[in-house]
Amino acid sequence: MESLPLTEPVLLILLSLAGQPRHGYSILKDVEAMSDGRVTLSTGTLYGALRRLLDDGWIERVEEAESSRGRQSYRLTSGGRRNLQMEITRMRRLTRLANMRAVPKEM
Amino acid sequence: MLALYRCLLWLYPSSCRREYGEEMTTVFREARAEIEKKGIATRGRFGLREMMGLVHGAFVAHLRLLSGSYSWAVFPTRRFTMHSEFRFPKATAFLMTVILAGTVLAIEKATAIRASVRDINPPHVGPIQPAHFTFVPTIVLMLAGAYAVGLIGWAILFALKRSGVHRLSGMQGSE
Repeated sequence: MESLPLTEPVLLILLSLAGQPRHGYSILKDVEAMSDGRVTLSTGTLYGALRRLLDDGWIERVEEAESSRGRQSYRLTSGGRRNLQMEITRMRRLTRLANMRAVPKEM
Repeated sequence: MLALYRCLLWLYPSSCRREYGEEMTTVFREARAEIEKKGIATRGRFGLREMMGLVHGAFVAHLRLLSGSYSWAVFPTRRFTMHSEFRFPKATAFLMTVILAGTVLAIEKATAIRASVRDINPPHVGPIQPAHFTFVPTIVLMLAGAYAVGLIGWAILFALKRSGVHRLSGMQGSE
């Protein structure tokens, strides 16, 4: 089971699939765009993460009549969306905590 | 580069290759088509990243096949990749020192025993061999040794795991 907290590449893959179903190359480009070019996934890394997320039931393949084996789309499952939401909530709490503790208060 | 990519795909377990191989090759082709318009340095970086990604991916896939899970508890690599602020925990340093001290003590002890039995086992006799060398006990002994080494490794990794993230979750709980 993919555990929280998520790694940055996995989080970005899930965020990429949150809006709409995407195929492999589209995910690669979206992850790169979301991270301003900071995170560039290789196909090996991408499909390692996709396989793990598929096995854990966080994402699923989109059954399309015209989709070939070489161009398969993926989307978030309801469980995957719930887990993503949990991770976002966790990060939000952490950011709030960091703001309270680390950012100096105005005099 | 495509031929090399296809070759490296053979590092993956066959089930994995059958399921994702064609799809990965298609995505690689698309990515390569875009990168070909760019400079040689960018192309080189892309090629290196892809090949390293395949080797790492194949390793993880085999590990998954062997263990039945990704065993992140045993190989928590993401703890190292995700946290640039990672500091070497004191517990690990202590554990490594204990292991080193144990090894040094064992060597010292072995040397002392060897010195004490010099007269009983003179050099011209040669090393004492077991009367009946059997295969199974040797294998069992080797497995026990490997298990012990694995246990020590796990203990080190467990100590590493209890670093920054552990403390952060503790802070979150006390919020």
